[in-house]
Parts: sequence; C-alpha cells; structure tokens
Amino acid sequence: MEANPAHSRLTAIALAFMALIWVSPFSWLFLNAFDPAATGRLAIPQSVGLDNFAQAISGNAGRQFLNSMLIAAGTATLSVVVGIAAAYPLSRLKIPGRNAFLWTLVLLRMLPSAGVLVPLYFAAQRGGLLNQFGVIIALTILNLPFTLLLLKNFFDTVPIELEEAAYVEGASLFQIVTRIVLPMSRAGIAVVWFFSFTGAWNEFLLPLIFSRVEAGFPMSVGLYAAFGQQGSVQYGFLAAYSIIYAAPAVGVYFLLRRNMNTGFAGVGVKG
Amino acid sequence: MSLMKNQANPWLTSNLLVLGLGMLPALLLIGVLLYFTAWAFAFSFTDLALVGRKSVEWSWVGLQNFERLFTRRGFLESLWTTVIFVFFSAIVGQSVLGFLLAALLRGTQSTIKTVVEVCIMLGWLLPDIVAAFLWSATTSQTGLINSLIIVPLGFPPVNFINDYALPVVTIANIWKGTAWSYLLFSAALDSVSREVVEAAKVDGATAFQRIWLVMLPIIRPHIATNMLFITIWTFTYFPLIFAMTGGGPGTQTQTLAVFLYNQSFSRGNLGFGSAISVAMLVIVGLLSLVYLRMLREPK
Repeated sequence: MEANPAHSRLTAIALAFMALIWVSPFSWLFLNAFDPAATGRLAIPQSVGLDNFAQAISGNAGRQFLNSMLIAAGTATLSVVVGIAAAYPLSRLKIPGRNAFLWTLVLLRMLPSAGVLVPLYFAAQRGGLLNQFGVIIALTILNLPFTLLLLKNFFDTVPIELEEAAYVEGASLFQIVTRIVLPMSRAGIAVVWFFSFTGAWNEFLLPLIFSRVEAGFPMSVGLYAAFGQQGSVQYGFLAAYSIIYAAPAVGVYFLLRRNMNTGFAGVGVKG
Repeated sequence: MSLMKNQANPWLTSNLLVLGLGMLPALLLIGVLLYFTAWAFAFSFTDLALVGRKSVEWSWVGLQNFERLFTRRGFLESLWTTVIFVFFSAIVGQSVLGFLLAALLRGTQSTIKTVVEVCIMLGWLLPDIVAAFLWSATTSQTGLINSLIIVPLGFPPVNFINDYALPVVTIANIWKGTAWSYLLFSAALDSVSREVVEAAKVDGATAFQRIWLVMLPIIRPHIATNMLFITIWTFTYFPLIFAMTGGGPGTQTQTLAVFLYNQSFSRGNLGFGSAISVAMLVIVGLLSLVYLRMLREPK
C-alpha cells in the first residue's frame, strides 16, 4: 500500500476528512461552553467567559460531581481489592472446580445488566440501599466477573520462580504478595482500576433507578435530568457541565494511552 | 488430593486458610449475582408490580407474562427495532468501519494515524449521556448539521431527531463505538506476519485480494470475538437511545432495553419486565453460542 504515493495521499486526505467529521460535534460543545450568553446555536461567542463552568461546579451540580467521584472511585477500589484477594488464590492454587468457576465468570460477564435489574432494585429497596452506597455495591457485583478474570490473567503472567526465591529468603505470604506479585502486575491492576472507574463513572441506568433526590444524582443522571427538562434549556451550562463530566475519563486515558491500548487488546482477545 | 500439586509452593499450602478467606468476599458477591439471575427467572412467572397492592400481594401467573410477549404489541416490535439497530450500528457500522480504518492505518506510524486514533477514541471515551446530549444538539433544528449544511443549501431546517430517529441514534452509536472494533482489529492485523502479506504481493495479489483472501481468514477468530462483544453490548445498550429519544417518537426507537425499562419502571410491571429480561438473556445466550461455534471452527 506504501508503493503508490498518489493513492496513499488520497487515503490520507480521506482519513483526515473523516477525522474532521468525527470531532465536529465538539465544536458546538466548546463554542457554547465558553459563551456566557449561549443559546444552543452554532455561533461565534460575542464574549468569552468561564461563567458556565463556575455554574457547573457550584450547588447541586458540584455535589453531583462529588457523587460521581464517590461512586466511581468506590466501585473501582472495591472491585479491585475484592478481585485481587480472590484472583491470586485462583491463579496459584489448583482448587477443584476452578475451571467450572472461571467459565461461570465468563458467562456472567456476558450477562446483560438489564437482566438482573429488577431483582437488584427489589433487593436494594428491601435492604434500604436505594442510595449511593447501594449503587457502589450493585456496580461492584456486576463488575466483579470482569475484574476477577482480568486480574487472574495478569497474575498468571508473574513467574512463580520469583515467589519461590522470596520464600527461600524467608518472606511471608503477605510479603510475597505485596512486594512481588502486586508490583509486578501494577500495570494490569491500573488498567482494571481504570476500566472499573470509567464504567462506574459512565453508569446511567442503575443510579437512575437507585437515586431518588437531585442532590444524590451522579453526573450522568444530573445531565439527563437537566437536558430532559422541557422549556428554557440552559445550553451554556449543559455544555460546560458535559465537558467537566467527560474530562476525567478522557484525561486519564490520554495520560496512560500506551498502557491502555495494550490493555484493551488484551481484554478483547483473551475473551 | 489435588492439593498435592502445591507441595512445591509451601508459602501457599501453609496459608490455605488465609487464601480461602481472601476468596470469600468475591465468592459471596458472585453468589449474589447468580442468585439474582435465578430471581429474575422466578419473577417472570409472577405479576409483581413496582407500587400498589401487587408489590406486596403478588401471585404466580404461570406463563402468562411470556404469552403476553407474543400476543400483545410491544415485544416483537422492539425486538425488530433492536435487530435493525444492532445490524446497522454494530455489525455494519462499527465493525466494517473499524476494520477499514485498521487496514488502512496498518503498519504506518504517521501523524494521520495518531490523529484518527485520538478522534475516534474521543467518541468512545465520552460518557453515554454526554454523547446523547451532543448528538441531540448536533441534529437539532438549530444544530450543527442544519446550520452548516441544510440551511446554507437553501432547505428549511430538518428536525432530524424527530423525523429520522432510528438513523440518528444508529449514527450516534457508530460514532461512539467504532474505536473498540478499530483497536481490536488493529491489534489483530499487527499479529499477521509481514512475510505472508509480502508473499501474496509477490504472487500478484491486489490490495483488495490481500485483505480479503489473506488477512481476513487469519484474523477470523478476532472477527468472531469482536462480533460477540459488540453484538451483546449493542443488543442491551440503553443510555444513548433512552437519553436521546426515550424510545420515541412513538415506539420508533424503542429497543428491548428501553422497552424493559419502560415496562418495569415507568409502568411498574416488574413481573412482565422480568419476562422481557429473561427473553433478552435467552437471545444473548443463543447469539453467544453461535459466535463461540464460529470461534472454534477450524480455518
């Protein structure tokens, strides 16, 4: 394909054009976010200001940001901690029925969360967990098959000879895990944490059903409630709110881009 | 005992209790998930409701919910909408576009590759609701498409989200999801050895033949994996459509996930909603079997 320069230049132009179309919706978003008098139309702002952003981090909007942080960080940390505690024995011990358990996890991972929505809601209602804590637990339950499988795969790649050597030197199980296994699978754990974090950060359906008051909404439900309202839509506020909501996931991805692409490929191919 | 194999690893065998305790929380939560799945099946045979008398005094109704799936309007229409949505947005849109991009950018390390990757990743990383908001705004009567293309050409503004609801959500989903297929195919194509492709080139295969006859057969397992994942995801995908159209106008964009939500939590028919989710589980299970067979068949 590199042999024909005219052909490859044409391809490059086509690709550039596609990239332009792909990002064009963002132009509208940024124009409105930085325009204090935004009307939702595509127009060059008369004045540029951060009023919309100030509005989007104060009051209920600010609290919704904290709610999202709590839910996402809570879910990611809980699933990674619970996942590590189970994935290490799963990776090292030949427990009877291990393969059956792993296959169950694969099947559970394919299970659409919509399928268990009604029982989840019912259990949370009975248990008084229709709040952020309930969302964290529910998301952890749904997320765990994925976390567990991936962490086990990462632990499998840590050579057991290193652990043997450490044991001969007199290291305890705790020292072996914290000094050798975890540091060596650091990149993998980071990928799993990031996946769980963005998954919970984006989650819409569960908090929509579990949250009852506006102050308890995470940003996904907050944004939906705000732009679902008929009548005077505050486009400037919504655009700024969207940018703040989208920033953490996008930002962390580009910080860790190299690791992430490998991780994504691993997730897909290993099944 | 099978534990004999672990004799060589005394730091494990002497701490079996600790390791077992460590596994306990995960086993418990997985157990809960299995239990809930069983519960969803049980609910589908009841007339349980979200509020009112039937939320407490529900009764078993046998297969009545499942009969309603096929006799009343709603389920079959939603199933058809879902099939169209999955086919055009996931299989045709994301997969084909992702593959074409991966094939075109294969082996190049140019700026254009980085630019394209960053652009399509932006869509993928964006939270669902932000994407829904962005596309509602882009396709609104005063939005990007109308003010840049339709109105300058002298046509009256079109209310896309109202007049072409299903195509709009389909395009929005392609925009959002292509990155996944691209990354997967990109990794797969990197694993195709250069020698094989070069050999085909020497033998006079055109670019199209090299892709169709050489690369595609080699990465067939990856194609099946990709299809499996994106079909299941798209089949049960809820936030984008729900936030953009709520299933409307009418029931034009009411996919099964939206139908399930509307029946369970807007109408409050939890029993019927469970029957819908059981039907979805069965369909997803059948699809998985088909794709797993594809995955296992020899080349």
